[in-house]
Amino acid sequence: MRRFFRPAPLVALAILAWLLGVLLVGSGYEQRLMAVAAAYALMAIGYHLVFGQAGALSLAQGACFAIGAYAAGILGGRMGWPLWAEFPAAILLPAVLAAVAHRPVRRLGGHYFALATLGFAVLVRLVAVDAQDLTGGANGLVGVPPLPVAVLGLARGPGMMLIGWGLAGLGAALAVWLTRGNGPALALVRADPGLARASGLDPERIRAQGFVWAAGFAGAGGALYAHVLGLVSPDTAEFSVMIGCLAMVVIGGRHSIAGAVLGALLIGHLPEWLRPLGASYRIAYGLGLFACLLVAPAGLIGSLERFRPARSYAVAPEPLPRVDVPRSALRITAARKAYGGLAVLHDVSLDIRPGEILGLIGPNGSGKTTLINGISGLDRLNQGTIMLGDARLDGLSPDRVALAGVARSFQSVAVDDGLAPLELVTAALTAKGGRAGFGRTPAIEALRQRAAGLLRRVGIGDPAATDSGTLRLADIARALALDPAVLLLDEPAAGLDAAERDRLAALLCTLAAEGRALLVVEHDMVFLMGLADRVAVLLDGRIALVGTAAEVRADPAVRAAYLGPAPC
Amino acid sequence: MPADGLGPELLTLAQLLLNGLALGAAYALVALGFVLVLNATGAVNFAQGDMVMLGGYAAVALGHLLPGAGLLLLPLVMLAMAVFGLLFSALAWRPFRHRPPIFGLLATVALGLTLQEAMNALEGAAPQAGPAFVGTGEIRLGPLGLPRAALGIVIACLVLGLAQGWLLGRTQFGRRLRASAQDPVTARALGLPVDRLIAASFALATALAGAVGLLLSGPYFVTPTAGNDLILRAYIAATIGGWGSLKGAVAGALMIALFESVVAGYASSVVATASLYGAVLLLLAVRPAGLFPAPLGRRA
Amino acid sequence: MLTLDRVEILRGGEIDCALGSGITVVLGPNGAGKTELLEAIMGLRTPLAGHIGLDGVDIGRWTPERRSRAGVGWCPEGRRVFPGLSVAENLELVAVARPAERRRRLEQVLEQLPALRDKLGAAAWTLSGGQQQMLAIGRALMTAPRLLLLDEPSRGLAPVLVAELFARLRHFADNGLAILLAEQAVAPALAVADRGLILSRGNLQASGTADEIRSHAALEQSFLG
Repeated sequence: MRRFFRPAPLVALAILAWLLGVLLVGSGYEQRLMAVAAAYALMAIGYHLVFGQAGALSLAQGACFAIGAYAAGILGGRMGWPLWAEFPAAILLPAVLAAVAHRPVRRLGGHYFALATLGFAVLVRLVAVDAQDLTGGANGLVGVPPLPVAVLGLARGPGMMLIGWGLAGLGAALAVWLTRGNGPALALVRADPGLARASGLDPERIRAQGFVWAAGFAGAGGALYAHVLGLVSPDTAEFSVMIGCLAMVVIGGRHSIAGAVLGALLIGHLPEWLRPLGASYRIAYGLGLFACLLVAPAGLIGSLERFRPARSYAVAPEPLPRVDVPRSALRITAARKAYGGLAVLHDVSLDIRPGEILGLIGPNGSGKTTLINGISGLDRLNQGTIMLGDARLDGLSPDRVALAGVARSFQSVAVDDGLAPLELVTAALTAKGGRAGFGRTPAIEALRQRAAGLLRRVGIGDPAATDSGTLRLADIARALALDPAVLLLDEPAAGLDAAERDRLAALLCTLAAEGRALLVVEHDMVFLMGLADRVAVLLDGRIALVGTAAEVRADPAVRAAYLGPAPC
Repeated sequence: MPADGLGPELLTLAQLLLNGLALGAAYALVALGFVLVLNATGAVNFAQGDMVMLGGYAAVALGHLLPGAGLLLLPLVMLAMAVFGLLFSALAWRPFRHRPPIFGLLATVALGLTLQEAMNALEGAAPQAGPAFVGTGEIRLGPLGLPRAALGIVIACLVLGLAQGWLLGRTQFGRRLRASAQDPVTARALGLPVDRLIAASFALATALAGAVGLLLSGPYFVTPTAGNDLILRAYIAATIGGWGSLKGAVAGALMIALFESVVAGYASSVVATASLYGAVLLLLAVRPAGLFPAPLGRRA
Repeated sequence: MLTLDRVEILRGGEIDCALGSGITVVLGPNGAGKTELLEAIMGLRTPLAGHIGLDGVDIGRWTPERRSRAGVGWCPEGRRVFPGLSVAENLELVAVARPAERRRRLEQVLEQLPALRDKLGAAAWTLSGGQQQMLAIGRALMTAPRLLLLDEPSRGLAPVLVAELFARLRHFADNGLAILLAEQAVAPALAVADRGLILSRGNLQASGTADEIRSHAALEQSFLG
């Protein structure tokens, strides 16, 4: 029985049972409270998308809820729009405003985003309280038409509940569709945006999508709220709504839709349940949130998820397929990079040819990592071009470079708790297939099988191992998932013992034989000796020499740099 | 028209600038505390504004308890708040230090909310006036009338800011604080009592917040939600100043206050806030790393 | 002075030995547990089993801070100097002593690592790899250690600097400092070491004098498989 334990569907069933109970035997007051909880659920589901899935701390969800409520009040109440026109408008308005608000911070990091959303929220509150003519100011709006319960032939209470939870159910279904199959990709975006970018994902675009969808959901919730209450008060625009939304998602479990709904139900009923405490019930609110963070950080559903059995993937040993990759050379011309006046790369020109392994050596500080960062798009070169065949790569963002066929591995890879090597490689495969993002619905099981195959291909015997050797190979598998024409490897042999090094060398030879171009940055000359076709030497930001490994080893300038000046 | 020819517009501008400067000095101290905790723990302290509010109420209480204490109130409030800061760090930081920074942030949100509601329940929502710290009235400087409160705030904040700068830059304690903020693991292995240093950072930040609470309680009164606007401005100041830069936070705070003061003086406070956000977004679009970005390789 | 009593660093392994004065090199490929062993001695990691003793006292429950004050010096992999602080600040802040004593120690350290003298005011992040390594060692020396732990100090350094570094370590050892050195650069390390330990997957494969270790079969085995 335990094999089938899935917390989310079970909780969903429990919620349905609770709703049914209130619908059948609850009082009109309780049913209205449930309808309000449905409005909160819509807001929380939206927040789950931007915060729980895309991993972005938005502080504007409450404000979007308020915009939806005011839209219902102004368009539906004051201007008398019919419901079928007003409700979509209440959804679209916050979504459009969110899209506009996000543009300036589109390319910026997490706390700028939080700041922009905070500003958005403050502005909405100011407009709600000050724009008397539009929003009714401190008095708010009255006369919001009730929900059309008569159409369903029901009494007010049950009618509101059914319409409310019908909408919430639709919302949940939509959210399920939006996130279907994107688990690994979104998990990578949350865990390590830099690594996500290098794997072809665009964390900022995903964040923008999540933000706009969340705004739409909040707008729907706000409109529903206004119709249930029959009025709009400026309290809706207070920051306490945002904090409530945060609490819902954190307490319920921010990584699941059922968690958001559960949290909404709990927070929605909290004022009722804590009423005996009188005016100080809101202290319990803050303390409850704190206690949850302390004791159940993954939320209620998240804590239950821990009992879910892990899945295993039996992969039939597949014959290693011969992959023929379109052959393109990577041509770097006159690359220059300086950090605030300190030149790190001077006029570096290099060719990496298909089917060849080019080693890159140089003392510490010679610019090797800077060069790789420049090629992979992590750092913009000050001058010079990077061409892959006919395509120009310099100036592209790291995810574009990765998708164009130049993949890199990293020196140090720390894999987070929730991100096993299998998920990591699956995320890269999702990006490569162009299926990463809300609503893209990739065929996730097929991708996972392919990922498992890739892990075996790089020589990982035990995918559950977490030693540095396995993690290093897993990172190479991730780069391989992008089916790159060019592979940039930053010290791949560091952290591997002799047997692992041999396996790695064999793998790299196979990859080169497939027609890929490999650049291997290494300190270990012994490793490169038997492996590299040519070796380039980077000294003080300049290519001093390109030759065979033996030629490079014998060169006096190289020997001086590594071994010290020769005695006279 | 005064005899020496200075028009009323110029005088008004001067008043606005002084008020802006005073407010900016206060914001700067709040922002300093915010960045101190940010650097020490990597987490955003959303309760920093609520600490100021608490300092204000502490000032009101002490003012009633010790009428006529005058300038002595400042060190007393700061001491009391420093002790509270130690307690706060035990709740908001200690339990979450091995978790991702979002937990610290959310914990401070939860605790800040609790503080607000507790003060609401204890003291009610009506604004309360703080003690007369530097007295009221004006000092005349030719045609200009400079409010004592504003002057007092500027001077006090300057002194505190310089003291804090000296503490961090020139004392063994300050060096250790900075080092353990940059690399707590290595600091531990070199014998530094990192946990105590982080708690001390909280105490320092809270003491600064308390000072601001006292200074603002006279002219601006105290309400339970007074902290919300302050944390906003501290957050903006830290962002436009360069995330993690103390200098930047101070500069950012001054800019925000001056901007708001001038715009609010000529338009409304709504316009002031709206245009502040517009200006901030513009600044970020042009210079995303802020005014004093941390140089490459600086962060361990 | 340091005893490792059936210490289990990696699952299934066991290290059992005693260390005294002079330079002891811990050799072994990556994954052997060298860094983990040093971290366990410093208190940054708890061994799976066994006891670590300093001068006969079981220090298993001691915090890293306490071990540092007891005389264990720390020079981690990757140097890890405090980047935003100056060289002088890096050196001064770790000394748990009065200003006069601090100055005395600083002078001593600068005497032994003269290259740092010119760079006292420079921010640590602007130093080259070799200079940072010297700073890291100087910083550890400021804690007045009796036992210095170094994790792969040669990593990323040009060979000429590595030789210089090891010569300096030899000098410190000759003046009474016990050194435990984890290294992959076998030859230069053994050239200055007194004793050696060969680690493989958390197991102590062999221990002996530097000469004995140099020719030990286990060494070849652990590196070349």
